[in-house]
Amino acid sequence: MSVSRRGFLQGLRLGQNAHAAAFLAARGHEELMAEAQQGRQGGARMSRPNLPPGVEGIRISSNENPLGPGKAAIDAILGKFPEANRYPFNSTPLDADLEILIAKLNSAKRENVVLGVGSQELLKNAARVFLSPTKHLVIPSPTYGDPAGFAQNLMKVTLKTAPVAEKTLRTDLSALLPHVKGAGLVYLCNPNNPTATINSAQEIKDFIAEVKKQSPTTAILIDEAYCDYATDPSFQTAIPIAITTPGVVVARTFSKAYGMAGVRIGYALGDTATIKKMSAYRMPYNVNTFGVAAAVASLKDPQHIKEESARNKAVRDFTVKALADMGYTSTDSQTNFIFADIGKTMTAAAFREGCAAKGVMVGRDFPPLEKQWARISLGTMEEMQKATDVFRSVLKPGATTSSGKGQ
Amino acid sequence: MTLSRRTFVQTAGIGAGAALTSSIWGRGRENSIWSAIEPDLQAVERGVICIASNENPVGPGKAVLDTLRSLLEGGTRPGRYSNQAGQLTEAIAAHFKVKPENVLVSEGSTEILRAATQVFTSKTKALVGTIPTYEECAGYAELIGHPVKGVSLDSAFKIDLDKMAAAAKGAGLVFYCNPNNPTATYVGAKATRGFLAKMSSSSPDTTILIDEAYFDYVTNPDHETHIPVAVENPRVIVARTFSKAYGMAGLRQGYAIAHPDTIKALRPWVASGGTGSLNVFGMAAATVAIAQDSTFTTNERNRNKAVRDMVTKWFSDRGMKPTDCQANFMFVDIGTPAKAFREACRAKGVMVARDFPPFEKTHARITLGTMEEMTKAVQVFGEVLGKKTSTAAA
Repeated sequence: MSVSRRGFLQGLRLGQNAHAAAFLAARGHEELMAEAQQGRQGGARMSRPNLPPGVEGIRISSNENPLGPGKAAIDAILGKFPEANRYPFNSTPLDADLEILIAKLNSAKRENVVLGVGSQELLKNAARVFLSPTKHLVIPSPTYGDPAGFAQNLMKVTLKTAPVAEKTLRTDLSALLPHVKGAGLVYLCNPNNPTATINSAQEIKDFIAEVKKQSPTTAILIDEAYCDYATDPSFQTAIPIAITTPGVVVARTFSKAYGMAGVRIGYALGDTATIKKMSAYRMPYNVNTFGVAAAVASLKDPQHIKEESARNKAVRDFTVKALADMGYTSTDSQTNFIFADIGKTMTAAAFREGCAAKGVMVGRDFPPLEKQWARISLGTMEEMQKATDVFRSVLKPGATTSSGKGQ
Repeated sequence: MTLSRRTFVQTAGIGAGAALTSSIWGRGRENSIWSAIEPDLQAVERGVICIASNENPVGPGKAVLDTLRSLLEGGTRPGRYSNQAGQLTEAIAAHFKVKPENVLVSEGSTEILRAATQVFTSKTKALVGTIPTYEECAGYAELIGHPVKGVSLDSAFKIDLDKMAAAAKGAGLVFYCNPNNPTATYVGAKATRGFLAKMSSSSPDTTILIDEAYFDYVTNPDHETHIPVAVENPRVIVARTFSKAYGMAGLRQGYAIAHPDTIKALRPWVASGGTGSLNVFGMAAATVAIAQDSTFTTNERNRNKAVRDMVTKWFSDRGMKPTDCQANFMFVDIGTPAKAFREACRAKGVMVARDFPPFEKTHARITLGTMEEMTKAVQVFGEVLGKKTSTAAA
């Protein structure tokens, strides 16, 4: 075993990180989930637009980090090759080691942490713990659709929604409150997908207190998938509240800023009793060992995430400004995507088709805002320079979708 | 408290299901067991022989690891996320000469076991399984409040088909782990076919989940997969995993093969749902692994058999009889509690033998490592059991 380990490491250490990163970032996941959701609901299957032949596509449709994980994560994965045959509980590091590290970084105990196959498993398991046909789900509209889809389709759960605020498109917490009485769960995504906006730490704190006052048994799940991209100082994680408040859970993922959508590791924190309930639904040996190693290495390299957040902010500022210069406003994005108001020129569908014809894939429809708002994920600066050129031609009044090839 | 096997059979009615699983099956998640044993949570240190979890000690082989390396190095441009799940599904279908709609890929076979339990059991339709067997289905049924019926094994520690058929009448799902974990025994293909036919007439609404996790290790000549039955009969599902002979336990890949209607029923409860939410390493590795010719599994089976023969002889020479082993692990009557054996072996650098009630006072499950590892391990067994035997005799 030691011989093969050495051989692999020699062959791999100097490998091309860019390619490895592209493999691990595994872009395109989110829209596939949405497609599956629509398929399950019996709606028309949404097919991804085909690129014209020979066009190297720019995929800015699924909110992934375009660069993939950092070198520390890739090195950790390479070191795992000799242990591919070992279960996560016999591996180095153990899955439990990742739980302990996450706990330490959040001033919590291991019993406050549960790992998931991405945050997807955790969102579903929260639904299973807290919802039933008699305990409804409360969500803002629009928001990330997985929990609601699962709850409605597989658990026959009733859904109660409140629209996001009219101008800012921020999640309107006060509009959710009338729905919370007797609810099983309130799901918030903060920053919110697809609107890219945040609610401040104070707002979240007050909301949790109010929910607990009005409906003590209602749980609150806060999905902080995009938290590492928030730069507004009023944003703070709700993890400290979650670990001390029964029935409040924060979900996180390595699929976004950490650049590992293809690696499938997420985690949730909450008070020990709540996490115990969530853990009961956790699949045994759920997380793959390569991912555990990559996650541990990533968490030990916080500088990389700081740099990724700064890189993203520069691209975000550039893209928002480019659209503003064309006359289109965006919400106050605190994420690695923007939500742009293109309604005076076209719908999201027309924009998507127009961009796809020029090799740029942007986000899907987000009802009920799809006639006016388009979600654009942020690629690299180079990608966004090309993409904004395409936006300029597509959004030009009277533009058709058949004019020449994009770069 | 340990109850006798007989007591279990007597109490294992629908009403006793919850108590049964919490005392037997629900207890045995491998990770929680090992966490309990090792509260300091240290990863397996160098030099420790890990023969506790039925892993292939050799790993997935060069073809698979070279593929992962080339993907990481950029030698080949990987397909999109979606295509990887699709490619894996097609590779599995091609390997077994079935259609892609007969295949559902999953996070290990665990997810298939859970999904089948979710879909085919209910408050009034029990899960039926042997005592002991792999715990996942029973543990999950208990979690969601569905009843569980346990059926004792025959005197050779094999599935007792008559008892199983009787208990399964009107049940929702039969978990049929063959070879059975932890007892390592195997019911021949002919007898299993007979059981499936009998079930079709005696309890036509009962689904049978055949877990073929250890299929590639079987050397009994009366051996064949039940995949051909599964693709025809909506009430039969075959579960497979890449965690055993294919040596990829860390990469979490498994699948079900069944009738398209059955796959459709399971799909919503499986995270992949066919849309590719499995990890990319696992999908890429499994796609290459399944497409290899039979040399890989043949070699692994032969390697394992040589080790198995050596360890079987070692125990038999010392008057300790293993069951008729058809897997990459053995179940041996060591005449002493597994716990004492486990702790003594652990102190000497060998991780082995978790508890499998109701046999934990007498039997140990021993995974087969490499020949080199097992040559060292039996020395440790000799030291540990030698002492125990002499103490007991005194």
